[in-house]
Amino acid sequence: MQYVLILPEILLAGLGLVLLGMDLFAKSKRSLAVAGVIGTLATLVAVLANFGATPTDIWNGTIRADDFAQYFKLIFLVILGLVFLFSHEYLERRDVRMGEFYILVTFATLGAFLMASSLELITIYLGLELMTIASYILAGMLRHDARSSEASIKFFLMGALTSGVILYGLSLLLGLSGSTHLVAIAEALATSPNTALITAAGVFIIAGLGFKVAAVPFHMWAPDTYDGAPTPVSAFLITASEAAGFAVLLRILLIGLAPVLAQWKMVLAVIAFVTMTFGNVTAIVQTRTKRMLAYSAIAQAGYILVGVAVATPQSVTAMLFYMLAYAFMTVGAFAVVIMLSNHIPSEEIEDFKGLAQRAPGYALAMTLLLLSLIGIPPTGGFFGKLALYRSAVEGGMVWLALAMVINSAISVPYYFNVIRNMYLAEETPSVELSARTGLKLALGIAVAATLLLGVFPEPLVGFLRTIQVMP
Amino acid sequence: MLTLIVFLPLLGAIVSLFLPKENHDIHRKWALVVSLAALVLVLGMWGPFDASNPGIQFEQRANWIPSIGVSYHVGVDGISYPMLIITGIVSVLAILASWNIEHRSKEFFAWMLALQTAMYGVFVALDYILFFLFWELLLVPMYFIIGIWGGPRREYAAIKFFIYTMVGSAIMLVGILATYLRAGLGTFDILTIAESANFDPRFQFWAFLAFFIGFAVKVPIWPFHTWLPDAHVEAPTGGSMILAGILLKTGTYGFFRIAFPTFPEGADAFKWLIALLSVIGIIYGALAAMAQKDLKKMVAYSSVSHMGFVTLGLAAAAGAVAQAQGVGDVNIVSQLMSNGSMALNGALYVMISHGLISPLLFFLVGSVLYDRAHTRMMNEMGGYFTKVPVAGTILAYAAFANLGLPGLSGFVGEFFTFVGSFPAFRTLVVIAAMGLALTAGYHLWMMQRVLMGEGKKDESFPDINGRELAVSVPLMVLILLLGVYPPLALNILDPAVNQLMAKLGGM
Repeated sequence: MQYVLILPEILLAGLGLVLLGMDLFAKSKRSLAVAGVIGTLATLVAVLANFGATPTDIWNGTIRADDFAQYFKLIFLVILGLVFLFSHEYLERRDVRMGEFYILVTFATLGAFLMASSLELITIYLGLELMTIASYILAGMLRHDARSSEASIKFFLMGALTSGVILYGLSLLLGLSGSTHLVAIAEALATSPNTALITAAGVFIIAGLGFKVAAVPFHMWAPDTYDGAPTPVSAFLITASEAAGFAVLLRILLIGLAPVLAQWKMVLAVIAFVTMTFGNVTAIVQTRTKRMLAYSAIAQAGYILVGVAVATPQSVTAMLFYMLAYAFMTVGAFAVVIMLSNHIPSEEIEDFKGLAQRAPGYALAMTLLLLSLIGIPPTGGFFGKLALYRSAVEGGMVWLALAMVINSAISVPYYFNVIRNMYLAEETPSVELSARTGLKLALGIAVAATLLLGVFPEPLVGFLRTIQVMP
Repeated sequence: MLTLIVFLPLLGAIVSLFLPKENHDIHRKWALVVSLAALVLVLGMWGPFDASNPGIQFEQRANWIPSIGVSYHVGVDGISYPMLIITGIVSVLAILASWNIEHRSKEFFAWMLALQTAMYGVFVALDYILFFLFWELLLVPMYFIIGIWGGPRREYAAIKFFIYTMVGSAIMLVGILATYLRAGLGTFDILTIAESANFDPRFQFWAFLAFFIGFAVKVPIWPFHTWLPDAHVEAPTGGSMILAGILLKTGTYGFFRIAFPTFPEGADAFKWLIALLSVIGIIYGALAAMAQKDLKKMVAYSSVSHMGFVTLGLAAAAGAVAQAQGVGDVNIVSQLMSNGSMALNGALYVMISHGLISPLLFFLVGSVLYDRAHTRMMNEMGGYFTKVPVAGTILAYAAFANLGLPGLSGFVGEFFTFVGSFPAFRTLVVIAAMGLALTAGYHLWMMQRVLMGEGKKDESFPDINGRELAVSVPLMVLILLLGVYPPLALNILDPAVNQLMAKLGGM
């Protein structure tokens, strides 16, 4: 029984090992991508089969199998599957070692799995390290590109530092409560007189995880890393790594630190506000596509943080909805960026010029995804944001909801800068554009899902209401 | 029925994506056929539509997101049905007016069709989220229409239009959520909330403010109007016709459908502000129009001026209700209430009439004259009565309609608005009436400069052609009909207006 509950992890680890073996023998590296997609689908089936099971702690409480964890695994698998689908041509053209890429991205996802499916600090930390160490290498995989090395080094230095910060915070929790399990920690904290130490632990953990989700003022590494890393890696980091950070943040704040959560709400709200505003305002002046998307990712992290700050069951539901929609729309947008950078390597926003005439299908898809990122109906992004607004108004933070809607208006200029280049610019660089089936499929899935979440959000909304961080 | 009307153009737009790219003729013909089909459906409702029924008709309702109380709920009443008709007519004519667009014609007509879906949708939606969806969807096609096919400053005008409206609607969205949560009915249904919710005055004030900002940008109420001259002037003719004829009315329609019936006390709190801003808008718009050398800009500013009448009528209705408060005499109360009804009827009449006149003017200025003279500067024109006698006469007709000549539709609406508003805001209405003189002034001056005189000696153009007449004549006929026989529209408007007055008066 226990093995069924961790079947997704087992399958994914197995996939990583299979890829490792295949890398030694397979002549065509494309077979790795195919195997990756198949493995992802198999894991997805295992995840879906586990939905609805009674929440259980297994292996001395180190693994928590509940719908919250399964849902996050679903998000990670969506991202992983799309990355497997759309990366091949990019890696080929940029001379990236494909074997390593596919293996590391699989293990990074495994790390994210562990982060989401544990209430135990050591396991959470192990998952975090597995994910980030794999990510450091992934970020530097463009060996001939100084930007990529810079991205990797910066990411590594900052990441190592923050891992230390988080670990220190976790050790304080252990010292205060004598346990590494979040439920036991919450019980101990509720009666603990050491308020100063609890506050210190909170500061370290929020700051550390703030780095992981690129919240302002802990975001300095993010634009350089997302800009310099290979584009499929940027897509993965911006979505999967961020979602994993939020999973842990929710678990620690809403379970472990639940007794003292009230005092953190305002701090988190301010961080959310500053993060979205900073991200949006800075994104306006960017000229490089990935840098713009990096700042947009910071802004989006700010929106999601609203859900953490409000900290009600409704806000968690809203976050979960938004994160899935966010994964689809962001990875989809990256699919278009990858298609374009396969032909025009500069990755400037100007490269989008005249795309509506050269490749109308891609332009339309990109437009839909960007509208979803702004939050224009009928897209998944709109309903996710609507749910977040609603939870903020309901949770008594009307100002935060107002800040959020004003921010979506601020985000219009830079998202529309891309649309303007695609549709309004007349000159068209004469480059033949093409893409392989995998990328087309990934983009198609992303667009279809974004629209589906916008037109028929009911099934997912209804389902998410049953998910709780801790029953 | 309504669902079909709303989504038929969108379906047409999607189908049109599969048409061959080079064949301009098939794009425009397809767009025309689809728009005509939608118009025929709208007109087909004329018979079954029961004008004496003040309630919602042709209602359709289905669950959409039941877990948060969002439903797909559409219907029309006497306030929205005339707007549907105007939408249908102007849409068809705007496509006919854009007949010569060959640059990226497939995209153009696809966006025009998508725009129709959003417009019909706004006027029939009876659920806040559905309304907001169509409201936002209006922006996207219009952005492209201005941005791709517009004048020299099209990119600036397009993004300005988008951002202004987006800020307004973002604030409105918070208002929607606050209304939904405060009502506590678990539904986003506009009618249910307006009927059953009990909002305290303080909440009504804030909620009304949120909706006011959203709608005021769209109307536009002075000082939220600055996007309008840019957008109207830069937009291609078909886009200007739709902007002026229909998009502006979605703003005032929002007051009729949502803000006033849902927050009567909020309306009461804001009535002086709205009246004041309206009168400023009337005078300012007229003065600004008078100062323009560019004919299209003049028409654009005249829209600001005319929309002021609509919002003045709205404010007057709230004013009449306030006057009736605490008055014991039933006769006086009913007199005051009928003043309010008259103001509201007038406001709606102005919406309808301006929805016909402004597209005609934009078509004449932006297409008929511009295609011949290749200028919009009035000082470069002149003598058009002799050069293009028929087109010149139509321009004069439109100008007279716009300045409120009795016998044409513009007069009826303005007259009703003034008479209905006077008891509530005496001084302001007297000032606004001076705006009428200014309005007459700039129109006459325009005619003097454009139509009379000698003009350039060596130029000669062909007069108006058959397609251009096909755009102009239907509008002219309707303007005349509504001018000489107001009951044509009033019969439909009045029951719904009386019901709205009753709601405002808390009866």
